[in-house]
Amino acid sequence: MNTTKPFVEDIETYAQDIVDTVREPLLMLDTHLRVQSANRAFYETFHVSALETEDQLIYQLGNGQWDIAALRTLLEDVIPTSSVFNDFELEHTFPIIGRRVMLLNGRKLRAGSHSEIIVLAMEDVTERRQAEADFRAIETYAQDIVDTVREPLLILDTTLRVQSGNRAFYHTFKVSPEETENRLIYELGNGQWDIPALRTLLEDIVPKSSVFNDFELEHDFPDLGRRVMLLNARKLQAGHHGALLVLAMEDVTERRRVEEAVAKAKEASEMANRTKSLFLANMSHELRTPLNAIVGYSEMLQEEAVDQKLDSFSTDLEKINLSGRQLLALINDILDLSKIEAGKMELYIEHFNLSGLIDEVAATIGPMVEKNSNTLHIEVAKNLDGMRGDQVKVRQALYNLLSNAAKFTHEGTITLKAEKEMMDDTDWVVFRITDTGIGLSPEKIVKLFQDFTQADASTTRKFGGTGLGLALTRRFCQMMGGDVTVSSTPGVGSTFTIKLPAIVHETKLELPMDAAVKESTTVVTGLDRSTDPTPAPGTCVLVIDDDPTQRDIMRRFLSKEGFCIRSADSGEEGLRLAHELLPIAITLDVMMPDMDGWAVLKALKADSILKKVPVVMLTMVDDPERGFTLGAADYVTKPVNRRRLSRILKKYSCSNPPCPVLVVEDDEETRASMRKMLELQGCRVTEAENGEVALESIKQQRPTLIFLDLMMPVMDGFTLVEQIRQHASWRSIPIVVVTAADLTSEQRRRLNGYVEAILHKEGHTKEDLMRQVRDALDNCSVPRLQIA
Amino acid sequence: MPKILLVEDNEMNRDMLSRRLQRRGYEVMIAVDGQQGVAMAQSQIPDLILMDMSLPLIDGWEATRTLKAAAETKDIPVIALTAHAMSTDRDKAIEAGCDDYDTKPIELPRLLGKMQALIGVKPG
Repeated sequence: MNTTKPFVEDIETYAQDIVDTVREPLLMLDTHLRVQSANRAFYETFHVSALETEDQLIYQLGNGQWDIAALRTLLEDVIPTSSVFNDFELEHTFPIIGRRVMLLNGRKLRAGSHSEIIVLAMEDVTERRQAEADFRAIETYAQDIVDTVREPLLILDTTLRVQSGNRAFYHTFKVSPEETENRLIYELGNGQWDIPALRTLLEDIVPKSSVFNDFELEHDFPDLGRRVMLLNARKLQAGHHGALLVLAMEDVTERRRVEEAVAKAKEASEMANRTKSLFLANMSHELRTPLNAIVGYSEMLQEEAVDQKLDSFSTDLEKINLSGRQLLALINDILDLSKIEAGKMELYIEHFNLSGLIDEVAATIGPMVEKNSNTLHIEVAKNLDGMRGDQVKVRQALYNLLSNAAKFTHEGTITLKAEKEMMDDTDWVVFRITDTGIGLSPEKIVKLFQDFTQADASTTRKFGGTGLGLALTRRFCQMMGGDVTVSSTPGVGSTFTIKLPAIVHETKLELPMDAAVKESTTVVTGLDRSTDPTPAPGTCVLVIDDDPTQRDIMRRFLSKEGFCIRSADSGEEGLRLAHELLPIAITLDVMMPDMDGWAVLKALKADSILKKVPVVMLTMVDDPERGFTLGAADYVTKPVNRRRLSRILKKYSCSNPPCPVLVVEDDEETRASMRKMLELQGCRVTEAENGEVALESIKQQRPTLIFLDLMMPVMDGFTLVEQIRQHASWRSIPIVVVTAADLTSEQRRRLNGYVEAILHKEGHTKEDLMRQVRDALDNCSVPRLQIA
Repeated sequence: MPKILLVEDNEMNRDMLSRRLQRRGYEVMIAVDGQQGVAMAQSQIPDLILMDMSLPLIDGWEATRTLKAAAETKDIPVIALTAHAMSTDRDKAIEAGCDDYDTKPIELPRLLGKMQALIGVKPG
């Protein structure tokens, strides 16, 4: 039997070798649950030694780390009754290796001479379980997304069999997942998707391109009726699902219907508009031809009547002639207005002689003036020769204003004054038509320039007319880059003022612009885009004007002056923006539809926060009283005098007045004497001894005016000027240079356009310098305290 | 007596203008369309032509171009009569070679001024 023993030992070693090769931890227990042995994987996995393990009760291993209730149940209740258990999942936090999920498999064995043993194999499936959980989460997440999408989605495999649909799909097509999943798309809903166009798409296009967008499918669906669907597809590689096709269907039936309706309505309205224009053109021609005959023949007959001394005929014929002319003028007005409305009115720019034109208008208006026993005075300034503009429109504007004056004045005087004026470095031709007639109240003036509106209905009855003339006159003037303003006192008379640029340019938008502004246009227009970030409260000027041209003009030149500009096209929008921006000042157009400037001003002044914001009224009423009563800070007339407006606004461009005047000067004594001089003028003064200190000071508090010495250490005046000009929000601070030296032409060039004035310290008496400083303060509208 | 050729298709306009010009001592010849206007200008050699622009057969612009292209008629001044304030019509008239233009409805004193400026004499 000597041979038997080694043989058995061999087998046992062999078995132990196998056990040790197995990569999952194994424990061999006796029936008392005491460890007989463990394999290498066990020791390595749980970081224990054979010494600590063998002969121990399993529950005592590793400081009781196996003393787990679930394991006790398994070993003490399950094993004794059955000889095997599989895949018992145990989740447990082990002291050294942390939280693990173990899959336990047990076998009861009888191994030869050994008594019964329990082999316990433990597979660590922690990572697998985690990956599975992650995967499930992703799938759920994906499905949640798919279900959340409001458009119906179908997920197809490459054989066009439905994997799933989303909630929207089932809902829209009124089908259940059971009827849908695992079926060919063409079989769905009794073949309602078996559409030739869709077959082409799915079978021919998708395999080649893997994506298609906005394929429009119009089809009669049994349950839904005729629908237009917009199909979008993507081929996806979805993990173990393989290639999938996501088919999204958007029901655009309603959208298409609306689009169609809009297109039809648009076409109809364009058609109607064309018909209207054609009708107007035809009508005006048809009306004019007989009217021309009436006017012409009555005039001819009148001449003959005069020749033949038929006086009574002559006056009657003159009446026919005059009425005919009025009717003709009216038809022309209506036609002009409809042309302007259609954007079809053009300017015909030519050079013409003004005194000739005025004589001509005076001759035409003569009979109307005499009719009410008025006298007409004409004063043409000597400096006025000609202008470039639309002669016909200038003539018509003058004629309209003169005929109004003649109509509303009895036994009075009508004066036409024409002269040339300078404004913003440009020549303007100014016509003033003054009458001694019935005059107008401010309320009536607001209505005056609106189309088809006379000051009030009773006026129409009393004086006749359609109210077209003024509206047209104003539009004509605006087209030429000018405007009409009026000042009037009821019972005393009115003055209507036409201001036109002496050289009118073809495109009206660029009219009052100079080259520098044009260059900066691209930069500047960017400032008004709604996408721009909202500027900090208290940094902008708000422009409220319904006229886009006016808004554009204001924005351009005020931006150039260094103001940050925001604009609103109506009173309501203006009030909303005012709340948002808390602007440093508001420019407000009076004439706006819906909510006019006066109403906006009232609303602003009634608001506890906004009432402090200074409002500059833009008005054609050259009478500030009403605005001031309502709380306006200032007013300007149109066409806007840019320099004046800029000055007014600069006055308010400091948020916490009185804002200081900054004296930049290295000489202490001079600085002190400047301070004294300025304080005598009621100014608050801050000082800086060089450019660098000045920049710091400006950052702290924006001054209203800077008095600047040029020669200074650290940073000289020239550099400071350049620095200030590079800073958009400082650009509008006026700078007055105070210098001891005569400037070279190169130095002047560096300062050119950047400084308000250059004062000389020397060669002047103190009083003289004082006077210059005072002028500078006046010119720059520096707010001052009243000094008694 | 200055000879004026009036080319105008509208009968009433023609009648009025011709009679008013005759009363002021002009000799007025009439053509009712562009073709006749060109023919009469060539045969009669008037001192001045008043040319309506929208004419049948040949329009006023074309007629003017024809006249201004021919040696025997190119020196005859042409005044274009255009519709109310149609700037494009005016531009086209000057381009076609018209010496001046006036707008309809005719303001006789204004038109007479322009005529006198071109033919340099006041009719007796």
